[in-house]
Amino acid sequence: MNTLAWWLIRAQFRTRRTATLLSMLAIALGVALGYAIHLINDAALADFGRAMKTVQGDPDAVVGARDSAGGVPVATINAIASDPAVLVVAPVIETRVRVNSVRTPVRLIGLDVFSAAAVMPWLLPRQDDRSTTGGILDGDVYASPSLLAKLGLQAGATVTLARGDREWLTKIAGDLPATGPDDLLLVADIAWVQERFGPNEAVGEGRVRLAPEVDLATWRTALQARLPPGLLVRAAEDDRTRVSNLSRAYRVNLNVLALVALLTGAFLVFATQLTAIAQRSTQFALLGVLGLSPRMRLLQVLLEGLAIGIPGAVVGLGLGYALAFAFTQILGGDLGGGYFSGSTPSIVPQPAPLLGFLALGCVASLAGALYPAYLNRVQPLAQALKTGFAQSRAAFSARSRWLLAALLALAAFVLAQMPPLFELPLAGYAAIALVLMIGVSSAPLFTRALFGWLAKRRLPAAQQIAIQNVAQAPLMAQVAASGLIISFALTASMVIMVASFRVAVDHWLDHVLPAPLYLRGKATPLPQELLDALAGTQTPFARIERSAQETLVIDPQRPSVALLVRELERDNPAARLPFTGPVVAPPADMPVVWISEPMHEIYRIAPGQTLRLPLRGHDVEVFVGGVWRDYSRQFGAVAIGRDDFVRLGGRFAPSELALWPLPGQERLASDWLAPWTDRYGLELADSLEIRQLSLSIFDKSFAVTYALEAAAMLIGLFGLAVTLAASVWLRARELATLGALGFDRRMLGRAVMVEGALIALVGLLIGLACGVAIGGILTHVINPQAFHWRMALTIPWPAVIAGALLTLAAAIVASRYAARQATRLPVARVLASAD
Amino acid sequence: MPNSSCPMLAVADLAKRYADVGRPLFSGIDFAVAAGEIVALVGESGIGKSTLLNCIAGLETADCGSVHIGPHALDMVRLDEAARAALRARNIGFVFQAFHVLPTLTVAQNIIVPLLLARVPSGEHATRTQALLERVGLAGFADRWPASLSGGELQRVAIARALVHRPALILADEPTGNLDPRTASDVLSLLLERVREQRAGALIVTHSQHVAQCCDRVLTLTANGLA
Repeated sequence: MNTLAWWLIRAQFRTRRTATLLSMLAIALGVALGYAIHLINDAALADFGRAMKTVQGDPDAVVGARDSAGGVPVATINAIASDPAVLVVAPVIETRVRVNSVRTPVRLIGLDVFSAAAVMPWLLPRQDDRSTTGGILDGDVYASPSLLAKLGLQAGATVTLARGDREWLTKIAGDLPATGPDDLLLVADIAWVQERFGPNEAVGEGRVRLAPEVDLATWRTALQARLPPGLLVRAAEDDRTRVSNLSRAYRVNLNVLALVALLTGAFLVFATQLTAIAQRSTQFALLGVLGLSPRMRLLQVLLEGLAIGIPGAVVGLGLGYALAFAFTQILGGDLGGGYFSGSTPSIVPQPAPLLGFLALGCVASLAGALYPAYLNRVQPLAQALKTGFAQSRAAFSARSRWLLAALLALAAFVLAQMPPLFELPLAGYAAIALVLMIGVSSAPLFTRALFGWLAKRRLPAAQQIAIQNVAQAPLMAQVAASGLIISFALTASMVIMVASFRVAVDHWLDHVLPAPLYLRGKATPLPQELLDALAGTQTPFARIERSAQETLVIDPQRPSVALLVRELERDNPAARLPFTGPVVAPPADMPVVWISEPMHEIYRIAPGQTLRLPLRGHDVEVFVGGVWRDYSRQFGAVAIGRDDFVRLGGRFAPSELALWPLPGQERLASDWLAPWTDRYGLELADSLEIRQLSLSIFDKSFAVTYALEAAAMLIGLFGLAVTLAASVWLRARELATLGALGFDRRMLGRAVMVEGALIALVGLLIGLACGVAIGGILTHVINPQAFHWRMALTIPWPAVIAGALLTLAAAIVASRYAARQATRLPVARVLASAD
Repeated sequence: MPNSSCPMLAVADLAKRYADVGRPLFSGIDFAVAAGEIVALVGESGIGKSTLLNCIAGLETADCGSVHIGPHALDMVRLDEAARAALRARNIGFVFQAFHVLPTLTVAQNIIVPLLLARVPSGEHATRTQALLERVGLAGFADRWPASLSGGELQRVAIARALVHRPALILADEPTGNLDPRTASDVLSLLLERVREQRAGALIVTHSQHVAQCCDRVLTLTANGLA
C-alpha cells in the first residue's frame, strides 16, 4: 500500500507541478511569518529580560516609588534592611546624563558596591590597571565596554557629564565587564550620584534579597501594608509579566496575520487537492473498483496534502529563521511596534516551538485536503468510472442556507459585542471568521439569485452557456468564488481599517500639534537658563506652552502610565486636548485630571469619577474631567494642569516646549533657538516635520499588511484560474459537444472567460460586503480591545472600488488560462473517448 | 490458482430496483460460473447488464439475493463497503471497454497495482508482471507510459492487470467495444486463453455476437429475468 501511495503522490507532483509548488509556497509563507514573529519576539523578550537583569540584578523584590519623580526615603531602606527576613537591600539611583556633549543621554546608575555585589553582580565595576585614581568611592565612574566603544574612549579618560544646564567633570576609572553589547551604561557610587543629581535623603529603588526560608508573597503583603502609599513592592515576576504585556496585543495581531497567511495556504491546498481529485476521479474510481478501500481513498488525498504540508512547513521554518535573523539585524527586536527598540537580540530556535510550527503547517495542509479527501471517499465508484467527477450541486437547500447565513450573522453580531477575553479581542477574531463563513456559504444563493433570471433571457450563445453554468453554482464555481471572497474581504477590510486609522491619526495630529515649533530635551529636563531666557521680553515668540512628563505605576503588572503636566486651562481643557466625549466640570476644591482613551479602557475609569494618583509619596484623590484621544501612548496617560500638579506637591520641571513665533519671525525664532539646541543637545522640530514623521512611521508599520494583501489577492486569483481550468477539464465532453454542434474555439474560450468574469463578480461583490463588515469589526472591536484606540469608520470607496475593478480585470486575465485550455480541447478525441 | 471444484461465481435470487421509481430493474437472477468457464451476458441496451455486473462486483448494492465469489463463504451483498473492496482486491479482475489504465503510472506499475491491493509479497511482483507482459505480448513495454500505447496495447495491459493477482473471477464489460475488429479478435482470444489457463471464471457483458459465440455459455438478460 505504501508503494501505491508513493507512486500516486509522485505522479501528482509530476503532473501538477505548478499548483503543488504554489500550495507548498503558501504553506511555507504562513509558517515562516508565524515562526519569524515567534522567534523575534522570543529573542526580544529574552534580550530585554537579560538587559533588565544586568541592570536590575536578580533581586527577589524591588521597593520603589510609584511615580518616576519620587524616591524611597533612606530611612525606609534602613528599616527594610533591619528586617530579619531580608538578607540584603541594595539601594540604587538611576538618572540620565549626556557624556561629552553627545546628544543622546545614557543611563547613570548609582550603587553601593558592597550590597550590589549580592544583588546586581553584573554591574560590578572593574578598575583599569592604567587608572591612577582612587576608585568608585572617590567619585570615579565606570562605563560599559559598548559605551566606551561608542564614545571612542578608554579608561582613564576625563569626561563631562551634563544634565539640564549643570555639568560635572569626572574620570572613567574602568569598565563593567559583565554588561552586554547593547548596554550603554555608566556606574558610579550612589552617594556621589545622590550629591549631584538628588534626591536628597532618598534613593530611586531598594533591591531586596530575602533569606531562603522566607515566603515572598507573605513578606511582600506585610511590607506593602507598612509602606507609605507612594511606595510599591514589586516581585521579579511582575517585571516579567509587565514586559510580556508590553507587546502582547501587537504580537497576537501579527500572529493572526500569520494565521491568515497560513489559512490562505490551506485554501490553496484545498483548491489544488479538489481539482486534483476531480481530474483523477476516474483513476480513483478505478482503484476503488480494483479494491482500494474507501478509507484508503480518503487517506491517499490526506497523504497528498501532507506531502505538500511537510516540505512547505520545513521550508517555512528555514525561511522564518532567515526572516527573523535578517529582521533583527536590520530593525532589532522591535517587530515594528516600537516596544523593544534599540537592541539586536540573538535568534535561538528551541525544539518545542520548532516542532509546533512544523505541526501547524501540516495541520493547515491537512485541513485544506480534508474536504477533497471526503469527496474522494464518497464518490460513487461505478458512476465516477463512467462519467468522472460528480459535482454536487445542492448539498443544502436554499432555505437552510439562508437560515444558516442568518444564524451565523446573529452569532457574529453577538461576538462583536463581547468584551475582550484575557485582554485580547478573541471574540472579535471569531466574529471575523464567521463573517467569512457567511460570505462563502451564501455565495451559491447570491449566484442563483443574480444569474438565475438572467439565464432565462435571450443572450448570445457563449454568454448564455456561461451564465447557465454559473447560475447552477456548481462546486468548482463555488470554490473559485470562495477564494476571491476571502481574499478580497481580507484585503478590503485591511484597506478600510488602515484608512480609518490614518484619517483618525491625521485629525488627531491637527489637534495635538497646535504650535508651529516644538523643543524638547531627550529624557532630561530643559535647562533653567533657557527657560529664564524665554521668560524675558526680548524673544521672537508670541506664546510659549511648557509641559513635563513623568511616569506612574498604577498596576505593577502593567506598563507605566504617562503623567503629562501641561499648562492647561482648568475650565477649558478642550482647547488643547482632543476629547472624545463631554468634559465634566470638576468640584472647585478638587484637583482635576483628564485621562487618555487607553487609560479609560484599561483601568475602566469614566469621567465624573475620582482616581487615586500616586504622587510624591502620597495617594492623592483627583477628579476625572474627561477622556481624550491619544494614539501615541498605548498603555495610558493622565493629563494634569500645572497649577494642580504644583498644588499637589509636584515640582514642575519642563521637558518640552510648544512655541508660537511672532508673525513673520519664524526664521528668527529658529535662529534664536539654535545655540541652545547645540549646547544642550535639544531637539527642535516644526509641527509639519513631526506630522510627516508620524505619518511615515504609521505607513511603515502597516507596510507588511500591504504585502500580505497582495499575496492574498494573488492566491485568490490563482485559485480562480486553477478551479476554472479544472472545471474546463471536467466539462470537456460538454464543451466538446458544443464544439461539435457549431461553437468555434473562440466562442468556447469566450464562454469560459465570461464564466470566470461572472464568478469573479460574485466573489468581489460578496467579498466587498464582507470586507466592509470585517473592516468595521477591525476598527470598532479589534483596535479598541487590542490597542485601546478608537476611531470612526472611514471607507475609502475610490480605493476599494478601484481595487475591485483591478481584481476583476486580473480575474478575467486569469480566466484566459482556462479559456485557452477550452480552445485547445481536441473535440473529436474527447467525444470519441469514454474516459 | 482458484480451486476448480467449486463455482467461481454463484449468484442467487439477485434483485435490484430503480432507485428513483422503485420499479424492478431485474429480479430472481440465479446463475453460477464454474472454474475455467467463460460466460457471456447479453441483452438490450438499458436492460441492466452493467448494473448486474456492478452488483456482482459490489460497486452497487443489490436489494436482495446473494453473490458468492470463489471459495469464499462471504456474501458480497451483505458486506460493508470496505469488506467488498477487500473481496474485490483478492478475487476479481476487471476489464473495461474504456481500458482504464492509470495514465500516471508505467505499464509495469499499472499491472502491479492489484498485487499491492491483494497484499501479494513484493518479491513476486517483478516475476509475475514480467511473465504476464510476455504472455499478453508486451514484453519490453514495462517502463512505457500508457500515453504511448495503442488501444489494443492498452487493453492487453488491462488484461494483464486483471489476471496478475490470480483472481477467481474476471468481470469484463464490453472488453472489445473500443477496438477495431482485428484487434478486438486478438484481444478477445488473449483474454479467453489466459482466463482458461488460470482456471478462473469469467463473465463478459457484450453486445457482440462474435464475442458471445466465443464464450462457453451465453446468458440473456431480459425484462423477465435471465434466459
